[in-house]
Amino acid sequence: MSTPLLEVTDLAISFSHPRPAVRSVSVTVDRGEVVALVGESGSGKSMTARAIIGLLPDGARATGSVRLGGDELLGLGEKAYTAVRGRRVAMVFQEPQTALNPVRTIGWQIAEALRAHGGVRGKAARARAVELLTEVEIPDPEERLGWYPHQLSGGQKQRVVLALALANEPELLLADEPTTALDVTVQAEILALLRRIRDRTGTSILIITHNMGVVAHLADRVVVLRQGDVVEAAGTRELFAHPQHAYTRQLLAAVPRLPEADDGVRVLADAPAPTGEVAALEYDDVSVHYGSRMRGRVLPAVDGVTLRLERGQVLGLVGESGSGKTTLGRLAAGLVPLAGGRVRVGGEDLAGLRGRRRADLRRRLAFVHQDPEASLDPRFSIGEAIREPLDVHGVGSRAARDQRVAELLDAVRLPASFTKRRPRELSGGQRQRVALARALTLDPQLLVADEPTSALDVSVQAEVLELFADLQQRLGFACVFISHDLAVVNTVADHVAVLRAGKVVEHGAAARVFGDPAHEYTRRLLDAVPVPDPTVRDATGPALHEQREQIA
Amino acid sequence: MTHYLLRRLPSALVVLAVASFGIFAMVRMVPGDPVSTLAGPDATPEARAAIRADLGLDQPLLTQYVHWLGQLAHLDLGTSYRIGGQVKDLVADGAVNTIVLTLTALLLASLAALVCSVLAVVLDNRWVNAALSFGNTLAIALPTFVTGLVLILLFAVVLPVLPAGGTPPDGFIARPDIAAQYLLLPAVCLALGAGAALTRFLTEALRTEMRQPYVTTARALGISRRRIVLTQALRNALPSAVTVLGIQFGTLLGGAVLVEAIFTWPGLGGLIEEAISGRDYPLVQVLLLLSVTVFVVIQLLTDVVHAWLDPRIRIGGTGS
Repeated sequence: MSTPLLEVTDLAISFSHPRPAVRSVSVTVDRGEVVALVGESGSGKSMTARAIIGLLPDGARATGSVRLGGDELLGLGEKAYTAVRGRRVAMVFQEPQTALNPVRTIGWQIAEALRAHGGVRGKAARARAVELLTEVEIPDPEERLGWYPHQLSGGQKQRVVLALALANEPELLLADEPTTALDVTVQAEILALLRRIRDRTGTSILIITHNMGVVAHLADRVVVLRQGDVVEAAGTRELFAHPQHAYTRQLLAAVPRLPEADDGVRVLADAPAPTGEVAALEYDDVSVHYGSRMRGRVLPAVDGVTLRLERGQVLGLVGESGSGKTTLGRLAAGLVPLAGGRVRVGGEDLAGLRGRRRADLRRRLAFVHQDPEASLDPRFSIGEAIREPLDVHGVGSRAARDQRVAELLDAVRLPASFTKRRPRELSGGQRQRVALARALTLDPQLLVADEPTSALDVSVQAEVLELFADLQQRLGFACVFISHDLAVVNTVADHVAVLRAGKVVEHGAAARVFGDPAHEYTRRLLDAVPVPDPTVRDATGPALHEQREQIA
Repeated sequence: MTHYLLRRLPSALVVLAVASFGIFAMVRMVPGDPVSTLAGPDATPEARAAIRADLGLDQPLLTQYVHWLGQLAHLDLGTSYRIGGQVKDLVADGAVNTIVLTLTALLLASLAALVCSVLAVVLDNRWVNAALSFGNTLAIALPTFVTGLVLILLFAVVLPVLPAGGTPPDGFIARPDIAAQYLLLPAVCLALGAGAALTRFLTEALRTEMRQPYVTTARALGISRRRIVLTQALRNALPSAVTVLGIQFGTLLGGAVLVEAIFTWPGLGGLIEEAISGRDYPLVQVLLLLSVTVFVVIQLLTDVVHAWLDPRIRIGGTGS
């Protein structure tokens, strides 16, 4: 066997102040190979990639060896490294929204990348830019050269970032969570594109991801990292079929899955039989518009949606970004002005209520947001954060409130000692539990959870979802559960509404919608989810390209 | 772009209208009376009343205000009480001097800020940063009357290379080299504070930009740090720096009063001082209104430049 293209040996990264680092990582990537670096946050996967391209954060020190095509990279001076970056190894990042310079055109940014390595200029650079945009499958490449990043969609931006990375034909492409911030159909397109690029140009790819579906879809080999150490490395099929390490098995088991098409769920009744009882939440032909009529641009965010959520049930809202799912959630609390229709919470029309009665209604509903770091005040202790709703509504005596805080902490399985801690001392999963406890403080009848587990690692996500299901069973609140992750919704929701461009395209029992989708769009969404099973990918591969055309 | 400007115009006009009344009322509320200054201490009550009626000061406040607005509409700025002559001519003479001085100072401040902050961020050297930070603090902390006197002492007395004050005898156009000599000291003195504040702001803005993800993208492409600062980060930091520059312009106008006094520069600063102490209402009003107008226009220009620099304002999104 020839020497691999990339050879990382005993890489260790340390910081002057204590934080997750890399202890001992060894990875090889052969020419034309796709290797996945898998692990949860803090496992050191991103740091490893940054060490390879020589862009570690200030204060970080790397030891060991990083060889590319036989040349040692670690310890190169800034000038020598600049010559390597982009030319021999390039990188694609997670967040396409901020990865491009907002005030420069696409064409300018590609020309700048070419210029960095003394490549072509002027007319030739323009021709090369068109060629690159064509390669990443951007329509009308000539015209797009003059566009600014904000004029492109998220998926198109990621394609441009990819075009930049490919500009100088690097031997190795590092992709750090390249599809995490994208919608599932866009993710499928980008994954397919990465595979085609590898097949066409022979570029090696080291992809960093936490998504086992992405791994199964793209990688030839997998390296599993945990707390800065490699716990397992194997071929993709082998790893999925026979995971050796307990942690790998745990990681695979934690991935929420969608029902298989032949699970025999068709027998399930679809529409909930009207019980005659008052619904927990009712949307009656609601519409919401953004933009102002005066400026002549009205965008319907929600367009004639009618949905009903029974007491004690969980309604999952799924859809891609811009489908209106978050807006529907905010409507339940009357946080968005209605353009038409009615929203009733527990039978009462939100629009008709003022002052005290409106406040009473709001007491009965609670929110859990995506990012627990942003939704908890950093200066509040955990105890204060959970008690705040009680203080605001003046519930009970001081002692009774403290008692309630202790109960809630216990309910979300956090030790009572956490009352004195601050949010920053907690992990993401612990913070989301606190957010959940805070939402449950006033015993709500309706909980709106907007992407509550999207910022969490899979194993943590599994724990939080299990806790959520348990609490929901026990306390019996109704819940609107919003997520872009179909598998997550499948694990918690009784009913599901699939949204697209502000309209409900399909609505029914979760098992039925996911197991036997009636609408074409639902089927496409489900097909686009990368299945955490490498044997499936070859069957779905070619179909994805056609899907892209259809969706576009 | 025109559309963008037109949307801002109404609020600018409202500001001017409110300011004009505020100035008009404020000038009359200040203790002291132009009549007693004009008539002298020994004047009889009849003589005072005659002067008052002559100046129209016996009319109700609102009537006086409407009268003044009518004059302004016909571009008649009135006659000075004390100095005599048309306010228009008095202001025009001083305005040229003051505008040349403040614009030069603005230019110097911007240039210094640009050079210093780019140097600080490109070199990213501890000693350079310390030196710049020291100079910066000094420039902000020292009051104008100290720096002005020190500058005169150093460059006009110890090393007599520049004039200690006054305006160029042949004007600004005929002999630009001589004009530059006369301008240099007062302009530097005026620019110091604003330049230092601007440097501090721009350096921090550039450092923030250098931490943005798009800079990491550029570095991962093998583009050198220096080039990223010059062609990408600076371009992103400029819009907010322009806003600060617009606000600094107001400080410069205020500072000009002092600097003109130190360097015996016959600009609006001296004129306004004289007008206020003499309770020369027409002159004070026009001068104050003029500075408000200049400020409003600068803010409008700032917005336009901002929009021009940022394509997200200039071109609406079509994607997503």
